[in-house]
Amino acid sequence: MTLSLHSEFPAPDRVIVQVGGRLDAMTFGELDEAMLALLPRLDAGGTVVIDLAGLEYVSSAGLRSFAKIRKSMRARGGHTLLLNPQPQVRKVFDIVKAVPVSEVFTNTQELDAYLDRMQRQIIEGDSDA
Amino acid sequence: MVLRSIASRMALWVLAGSTLVLATIGALLLSLTRAQVLQHTHHEAAALAASAGSEIQARIDRVAISAQMLATIIATRQDNAEPLLRDTLQANHDMDGLAAVFRPSSNPVDTPPYSPFVSRADNGALASRDLSRDGRPYWNSNWFLGGLSCSAGCWQRPFLSLSRQRQLINYSVAISHEGHPVGIINADVTLDWLHQILGHLDKPEGAYAFVLDSDGNYLAHDNPTLVGKRGAPALLEVLASDQAESVRLPVAQNAQVHGAVWVYSAPIEGTRWRLGLVVPEAQIYAGVRRIFLWSLLLGMLALLGVALITLLTVRRTMAPLGMLADRAEHVARGELDFELPSTSRHDEVGRLTQSFDQMRHELALHLQDLARVAREKQRLASELEIAHQIQIGLLPSEHYLDAVCAYFELHAALRPARAVGGDLYSYFMLDPERFFVMVGDVSDKGIPAALFMAQTITLAKALAPRAQTPRNLLRLLNLELCRGNDSCMFVTLLCGLLDTGNGSLELASAGHEPPILCGHGAPRLLDFITGAVLGLYEDSDYPEHHLRLRQGETLLMYTDGITEASDHHQQMYGIERTVECLAQVPPAAPTAGYIERLLGDVDRFVADAAQADDITLLALTWHGAAQADAEVCVASRLADVFTGLDRCEHLLQKANVPSSLRGDMRLVLEELMVNTIEYGYPDGGAGQIRVLLQPRPDAVMVELIDDGIAFDPLQSVYPSLPGDLADREQIGGLGIHLARTVTSEMRYTRDAHGNHLLLRFIYPNQNGSSS
Repeated sequence: MTLSLHSEFPAPDRVIVQVGGRLDAMTFGELDEAMLALLPRLDAGGTVVIDLAGLEYVSSAGLRSFAKIRKSMRARGGHTLLLNPQPQVRKVFDIVKAVPVSEVFTNTQELDAYLDRMQRQIIEGDSDA
Repeated sequence: MVLRSIASRMALWVLAGSTLVLATIGALLLSLTRAQVLQHTHHEAAALAASAGSEIQARIDRVAISAQMLATIIATRQDNAEPLLRDTLQANHDMDGLAAVFRPSSNPVDTPPYSPFVSRADNGALASRDLSRDGRPYWNSNWFLGGLSCSAGCWQRPFLSLSRQRQLINYSVAISHEGHPVGIINADVTLDWLHQILGHLDKPEGAYAFVLDSDGNYLAHDNPTLVGKRGAPALLEVLASDQAESVRLPVAQNAQVHGAVWVYSAPIEGTRWRLGLVVPEAQIYAGVRRIFLWSLLLGMLALLGVALITLLTVRRTMAPLGMLADRAEHVARGELDFELPSTSRHDEVGRLTQSFDQMRHELALHLQDLARVAREKQRLASELEIAHQIQIGLLPSEHYLDAVCAYFELHAALRPARAVGGDLYSYFMLDPERFFVMVGDVSDKGIPAALFMAQTITLAKALAPRAQTPRNLLRLLNLELCRGNDSCMFVTLLCGLLDTGNGSLELASAGHEPPILCGHGAPRLLDFITGAVLGLYEDSDYPEHHLRLRQGETLLMYTDGITEASDHHQQMYGIERTVECLAQVPPAAPTAGYIERLLGDVDRFVADAAQADDITLLALTWHGAAQADAEVCVASRLADVFTGLDRCEHLLQKANVPSSLRGDMRLVLEELMVNTIEYGYPDGGAGQIRVLLQPRPDAVMVELIDDGIAFDPLQSVYPSLPGDLADREQIGGLGIHLARTVTSEMRYTRDAHGNHLLLRFIYPNQNGSSS
């Protein structure tokens, strides 16, 4: 089973990337390339939501890919959120403490609540400004 | 009681001995004295008898001479016969009467010749009468006819004169005229004087005398009742034989005398009489006996005195001995603190007392010494006992059954020849998959061997995790044991490392007896190359021997206590007998059966000979089923690695490994293999990576072998994990960290084949958690 990727833009500042299959030393290149093409299309300060529901396996090569995504997003003032990691993936994340716990969500409701909150902060911040 | 004392016994023996000596000498003396006295008595009595005889003879001679003179005179002067007779009778008082009788003429008518007979009356007056006028003519009487033939005179028989009431004896002598007897002179002689002579003899007391006439009748006897009686035949016989003058008769005739008598006789010349003197034998010895009895009495008194003195002296001399004997009983009871009699004597008793005192002191010292030695010995024994306990404690249990999968079973037996010994066996799980087992034998016996054994067994346990293989263990152990081994002790050791998953066994031996493989077919001696014994040569190497135990096979390890067990004839049990004995064990026998069979056979062989060496036996039986290892071999290229990973996954799926575990394994294998191809071949050369999968009931064992450069992932630096990978400058080391974390257990070794990484993945449900 190899890697499968699917991406959609529900808003200009948000992209949802669905990653499925196995993300390992063999396949991480595909994700890297895909993201390289996707991210420039996103508005600055946007959010990348990586849906891991279909990802059943990740190795250290995959972790590096995620780290690269987050690094570049951070450079663009954006956020990277991980959604719905499966047990193996979650375990690997836990072991190497790959991402802050606050950026990982187990389901879409949590994610939506988080996004709303963030939206409000931005609006309030704007009104403050 | 009394006889227990030496003094009384000595006194008694002195008394008894002296009495014996006295009695012997007394008896000897008595017999000598008796002989002497007898001799003396013989002389005296013979002399007495002779003198009495001559006295009697003198009296008789006077009568005979008077009668003969009368006969001569009267032959010519027949008419003057009567006055002559009267004169003669007057002169001689021994005669009681005198007669001159003549033969009448041949013519009967002639008047018979005057034949006067003068006799002495009781008052001394002499009376005479003519015998020819007697009624009874004398010329026909015997006494006359007999007298005519006695020209030289003869004594007639004695007779009792009725008229004069006394015993008389006649002496007749013929009156010869012109050569013809014409008559006789007949003298009547009284025997009173004879009695007087006998009575006045100076006889010994109790003796008596007698006179026997020619016919053997008593003429005179001190016992008047016997006069006229005939002498006893024995006496007469003795006297007639005319033997010695002294004769012993067992019985006297005289009723007044009892017992044997001595008879002394003397002949009286001119007659045929004999005078006899009889002395009772008892009388002869009476004096001697009396003196002897007195001497005996005095002697006995003297001996009693001597015995008493001996008793007192010995008792006095031996008194310290008694005390010493008493003290010796004290010594026997163990009481050494007592007073000894003070002695200044220099004799044996003094020396004995002194040496007794010395002995007491030395004994006390010796006892102290002995008690000390006994305490020491007891301490040593208890220490030895403790050492024995400790040594037993060093050995694991005699039975081990693999608790997890029951794939193997172990039985061991160790019989020290002494309290502690130099044999050893040990086994332990090196890790959950590998079982270490060893059997060894230290040179020498006893405590040094036991210490060396303890050192060996402890070191082996400590070094095993570092050594990982029997070969390495022996090498490390050898180095450790060589260090400071000045006493040059050594140990032979056989090590085995059993893979509890598949029964493969690595063996290495340091000069130990080859093990025996039993179970399928005849027992087989695994005589592989062994290294040098441990402890002597630091640069020794120990080649490994690999084999794989099949189901039901038993590996028997032993020490030379088995093969060198000797019977009474110094014959050794030997390896041939060992193998023969093991061949008789049925194939399905339990593990303990091999040990029991072999030990029993050795015991029978040795019988009651002493066990010379420690005996150790260890049997290891493999019960596991044969399992094929899955091996995946890939080239050192990324694509190949992932193809290999897929194949592994497929194999694991076939082996019903849970999917979560499969994920973990895939992660680990990917990380390690990718790491290997990225860093293991810096020269860009082609490499090979082999993955050996060994699914077990509780875990999966994976061996990862690559021929790249040496790399021990366990030694890699622990990565810093700040909580966000994106914060890290260099994203490296994560894979190794992941692999190390996920794997239940990881071991690294490197050998000629390259890097060996042994991984173990425990099933989640058996580990209790899924992480």
